[in-house]
Amino acid sequence: MTHTRRAFLGTASAAGLAAALPLRASAQDALQIALMVPSPAADVGWSRTLLDGTEAAAGAVGGEVTFLESISEGPDADRIMQRAVSNGARFVILGSFGYMNGGLQLARRFPDVSILHASGYQTAPNFSPFAAKYYQGTYLMGMAAAALSTSGKIGSVSAFAIPELITSINAFVLGAQAVNPEIECSVVWVNSWFDPASEREAAQALISQGCDVLFSNAQDTPSVISVAEEAGVYAFNLNSPMKSYAPEKYLGVVGTDWAPFFTAQAQAHVDGSFEGANHYLGMEDEVVYVSDWTPDIPADIKTRIDQTQAEIVSGAFNPMTGPLTDQSGTVRVEDGVTMTRDEIQAMDWHVAGVTTPLPN
Amino acid sequence: MSPLEFILAGTLAAATPLMLAALGELVVERSGVLNLGVEGMMALGAAVAFIVAYQTGGHGLAFVAGAGAGMAAALVFAVPVLGFRANQVAAGLALGILAGGLSAMVGRPYESLTIRSLPKLDIPVLSDLPYVGGVLTQDIAVWATLAMAVAMAWVFRSTRLGWRIRAVGENPHAARAIGTPVLRLRLACIAFGGALAGMGGAYAATVYTPLWADGMIAGRGWIAVALVVFGTWRTGRVALGAILFGALSIGELVVQATGVRIPSQALAALPYVATIIVLAVISSNRMLTRRHSVASLGEPFDP
Repeated sequence: MTHTRRAFLGTASAAGLAAALPLRASAQDALQIALMVPSPAADVGWSRTLLDGTEAAAGAVGGEVTFLESISEGPDADRIMQRAVSNGARFVILGSFGYMNGGLQLARRFPDVSILHASGYQTAPNFSPFAAKYYQGTYLMGMAAAALSTSGKIGSVSAFAIPELITSINAFVLGAQAVNPEIECSVVWVNSWFDPASEREAAQALISQGCDVLFSNAQDTPSVISVAEEAGVYAFNLNSPMKSYAPEKYLGVVGTDWAPFFTAQAQAHVDGSFEGANHYLGMEDEVVYVSDWTPDIPADIKTRIDQTQAEIVSGAFNPMTGPLTDQSGTVRVEDGVTMTRDEIQAMDWHVAGVTTPLPN
Repeated sequence: MSPLEFILAGTLAAATPLMLAALGELVVERSGVLNLGVEGMMALGAAVAFIVAYQTGGHGLAFVAGAGAGMAAALVFAVPVLGFRANQVAAGLALGILAGGLSAMVGRPYESLTIRSLPKLDIPVLSDLPYVGGVLTQDIAVWATLAMAVAMAWVFRSTRLGWRIRAVGENPHAARAIGTPVLRLRLACIAFGGALAGMGGAYAATVYTPLWADGMIAGRGWIAVALVVFGTWRTGRVALGAILFGALSIGELVVQATGVRIPSQALAALPYVATIIVLAVISSNRMLTRRHSVASLGEPFDP
């Protein structure tokens, strides 16, 4: 028994060594890129956009992609990212906040590895956090939502009350108020990143309260979009277009295209000029985009949306510019003052017009 | 639609996956076996049912397939537990992880796809009534599940089969002495429980959401296990617990949407807390509870 097992182990390690050797050899010519995400890469959603961006970057710099999907945050993730690096990966993209500490340790142990980390705040010489300015797009969606809402009530199904999601909702409401100052927005926090059944119930609850445009905030599944289509109300989502799930009532998408950013960073790694920095990327970086607009938006509003979009891209306009009051009526940002990046990334209050209190 | 009307209309559908899985687990536990793999069996049932519904468009076939998948997973649990008297807690947890992983694997090509749901059946006149109309307008699977709960209560209360299952769970040695085939009966209960868990998953994936996504059961299998315990192994209370949980989980979201000033985390915990409190209060008669709890639950049977 022991003999067999030892023989088996010997064969296995020999096979492992043999498998590792050509990897080392090919690492000389092709950059090994590893992408790790917490959910499976479906046709749509966060993981899919990261994978598309990574593959585009690999194509541009002549690299090879190792895709590690459905890796839950925790010790397992640390072990798997370490194995990816010891197997030759030199450029690592970590697609979830919870990978931060493991990724930082990895960055310290392997100074020649460059790491990009989604939505974190820690930076090291070879470790850069990145996040998308979704709020630029949700502001434009808010303008369209206000133009299409007949009830004057709009709503959002949101995952967790964290600054990134709060900012997206606030910009959505500010954009809506730019078209209809009286508009009100209800928010339902599902308190789960992933629960399609609850997302569906939350969307139905908002519709029953009279909301006729819904914002699916940080959900990877099309549950909210399909409920809205069934109920005949408009809906939009983040990351990738879901028009096929709602052919009639799809408002549009605030999409993310990581290809330009990942390509530039992978090229920097190859050139040896990779630097640790906090990347907050928006329309001006061609990372955030809006598309798949419903044709139902009135022409004059669509023109205003396009103008606003151009001003956001050129930097002439920032949605997070005062005067901004919070739900209690206190002025939080003075007239003409634009919130700094740190303030936007730490926003923990709702603007006036959001009727739901913020959980604290 | 008023918030209350909305909650009433949505409750039964939200409760159905829980009720199916909990009733299945009830039968298993009544026979003296503790299967903690409900979450995984539901996930596997959901994945397989979704694939069948997506490929054939038939919900009936999808439910059969979901039940079959759940049953197959349960039989994997039955082999070590009944055949080798393995620890039921460990075997159940292992089954849950295995079936959950398997569901992710077979469902991989179908991730985030959607299908048509079952139609809600309109009942003439009644469906148009305020409040009551919403409660009575449900799809066929909801009615079938409620009918199943009633039938199961009757089986346990007044049939020879029900008494035999209870006897096996109470004292398998005594049951064997009077000629009951303990292991065969337990095997049948485990298979039946797996089939119902699979159907619960099938309802969630092909009727309720209706989409497949890895992890979509999101803890409902564990709630089903908890409902059986808090319902003190009595069919009516387990079914009631599932309905209560369904009502509160929808109510929580509606309350948020109406803008009541309660933190959403507290609201999210409400269904769990309230279900526990209500079931604990109605089960506070200790004599009755002891009479209905399963004496040999979790103990391997060594003939």
